[in-house]
Amino acid sequence: MDQRIAQFISALRASGVRISLAESADAFQAIEEMGVMDREWFRISLRSTLVKEARDTEIFDKLFPLFFQPSQPPPMSDATKGMSPQEAQMLAQALRQFSQQLRQMMEKMLKGEPMSQQELNQLDQMINMDGMTDMRYQNWLARQMEEALNFPEVRKAMEELARMLREMGMNRQQVDKLREMMQANQQAMQEQIRDHAGESIAQNLSKKPRKEDAEGAMNRPFRALSEEDMHVLRKEVRRLAAALRTRLALRLKRAKTGQLDSKGTLRSNLKYDGVPMKLKFRDRTLKPKIVVICDISTSMRYVSELMLSMLNAIQDQISKTHAFAFIDHLEYISPYFERQDPSEAVRSILYQMPSGHYNTDLGTSLDKFVKEYMNTIDSRSTFIIVGDGRNNYNDPRTELFQRVARRSRNTIWLNPEPMGLWGTGDSDMLKYTPYCGRTFQVSNLAQLASAVDQLLLH
Amino acid sequence: MLNENRFTTPAKLKDALTEQMYIANDEIATVVYLSQQLGKPVLLEGPAGVGKTELAKAVACAAGRELIRLQCYEGLDETKALYEWEYAKQLLYTQLLREKLHDTLVETTSLKDATDRLSQEEDVFFSMRFLLQRPLLKAILSDQPTVLLIDEIDRADAEFEAFLLEVLSDFQVSVPEIGTLKAAHRPLVFLTSNNTRELSEALKRRCLFLFIDYPTLEQELAVVRLKVPELSPKMARQAVELVQRLRTMDLRKSPSISETLDWAKALVTLNADNLDKATLDSTLSVLLKHESDLQQARRQLFSPSSRDRRQDNNSLGSQRWSN
Repeated sequence: MDQRIAQFISALRASGVRISLAESADAFQAIEEMGVMDREWFRISLRSTLVKEARDTEIFDKLFPLFFQPSQPPPMSDATKGMSPQEAQMLAQALRQFSQQLRQMMEKMLKGEPMSQQELNQLDQMINMDGMTDMRYQNWLARQMEEALNFPEVRKAMEELARMLREMGMNRQQVDKLREMMQANQQAMQEQIRDHAGESIAQNLSKKPRKEDAEGAMNRPFRALSEEDMHVLRKEVRRLAAALRTRLALRLKRAKTGQLDSKGTLRSNLKYDGVPMKLKFRDRTLKPKIVVICDISTSMRYVSELMLSMLNAIQDQISKTHAFAFIDHLEYISPYFERQDPSEAVRSILYQMPSGHYNTDLGTSLDKFVKEYMNTIDSRSTFIIVGDGRNNYNDPRTELFQRVARRSRNTIWLNPEPMGLWGTGDSDMLKYTPYCGRTFQVSNLAQLASAVDQLLLH
Repeated sequence: MLNENRFTTPAKLKDALTEQMYIANDEIATVVYLSQQLGKPVLLEGPAGVGKTELAKAVACAAGRELIRLQCYEGLDETKALYEWEYAKQLLYTQLLREKLHDTLVETTSLKDATDRLSQEEDVFFSMRFLLQRPLLKAILSDQPTVLLIDEIDRADAEFEAFLLEVLSDFQVSVPEIGTLKAAHRPLVFLTSNNTRELSEALKRRCLFLFIDYPTLEQELAVVRLKVPELSPKMARQAVELVQRLRTMDLRKSPSISETLDWAKALVTLNADNLDKATLDSTLSVLLKHESDLQQARRQLFSPSSRDRRQDNNSLGSQRWSN
């Protein structure tokens, strides 16, 4: 049992749930306390000790039945029971018409024998299952196994058998009953195969080495990121953001720019007999407001998503964030983040404004911003643009950009392109730079993190 | 039933909670029981108003333990959470005791003697008498087992979280002037979070995790029947069905259990015997707190689109409210 639990834990880890050694020790301790007799208690004990994020419970719920299901073969019924000797003979005769393999399979269906463990193992060897470490493959794998067992042929053969039996003069009702039972048995067997496929994947998962190469992915350029890297990075963003947040909070706390807090000063200096040795300040520095405009065209998607998730994660250190996205026009996207987590939010935003080809237009987007959302910017706001500045030869509208920049406290541009490429081709980057307080080249997550750290400096 | 304020099985815990008018499912009961057995804090997460805080209160009552509550907010620090010296009292005492001090020191001849003499007495000023106990210290020092509720931990700063780790792992605190204070009884600890920010891995690692979601129809109905018994069963069911339906809508803030209960009470007060349009119209604002949500709910409830009508054909809702 212990080994099974250990396997389960490593399968969870391989599916991306962070489980520390201490937590797995807790799990064993909890099991010791609760026992393994009550399945529900067992499940809850494991879940409350291993899963610490609401979003990971889904993975847990999916994997749990694969590891801790009483693996009983599904109930099947014997179709040959209650047959008269005459009918049995007819059946045997009809069966002889089929090839050996088909006959064996059909006999199984008739007698209602589930696959034995040995047969299942043989099946595993027929199919290459290396690298099957995703539960989404379960149905696909089950189908592969069915095909290896010639299920489509067997299905046809069953119809054929029924036809033959009728021709041989078997009672019509009896034939129908036989056929129905065979079909039911086949379905049960399919169920068994599906369970087995799931279990095989689970086994593979638990053996899969964890390759969370966050360090490498952090320094990999955004344009070379795969979806899998993104998965790693999304998690990394959360960790980074936690570190950033602590730093920001400390910085705000230590900043001595608030008003003198006379009550606090009196109170904290009582120990010095009322001599004000330490001054207390009422207000910490005002938290920054952020207005961010993100290019979410295909080339910029990942950067923008990571930027938005990072901002979202440090939300409590920012007084207000207004987020906008643009490709050829501008959309106000903050509401999406209130309800969904950032990667989902970005996905639904992209669904709302699908990226076509060569239509990025910051000029028009700025126009809309100035007309409709200028009130989001005041002297406390930091205005951030995430984009490559490639406008497809549309009018860059630098005069609008200047207006926005002048109104905000600071203007920052994050550009994933190497600086050497700025201003080449359709890049209007150099036209915008004079109005930016700072520009950063952010071509990987490490750079993005340091840029975010910088931009919240006062 | 209770052995030294401990529960012996999850089932007993569940029953005890029911006695306290808290309807717990198996999951809640098991996790709380585990927390008691393993001595680990429970981290409660879930949407606002599903009864996270209520659970801690109910457990405290059920176990007959004192509930000590620490409400977190931005800027909360050790002096508010753990302890603080009562400087004012210390000063006051030195003033009042001046003469006594004088008596003590009168025989001394040199300054050194006086200092030595005084230092023998210094324990008086840094004793428990002058220590202002804040919730965490109170939970540690209590001679009875307690329930410690750390509410809305996500609102506190990250540094406070780190500080909390230390306390939660060994339940001991060192006060430099006094020494190390260790808990006589490990309190049952509940932390609640509305997930407004990500909590640190380290904190999560030390806790058992329990996610409380909105209840199912039957559970919620049971809660309403228990807490607002005056409401007729038929009305209770209708009301809960409506609330459940509201939760499936895309609202800014879905109604919570506490709002359901408020609404049920409102219906009782209004003597409503039917959920007709007028009653709904006047009471819906108890459930929904945003104007836009109200408008959306009215639109969908009073004039369901054909799609909605098909979906909700079976619920009493659309038949009653569609015309």
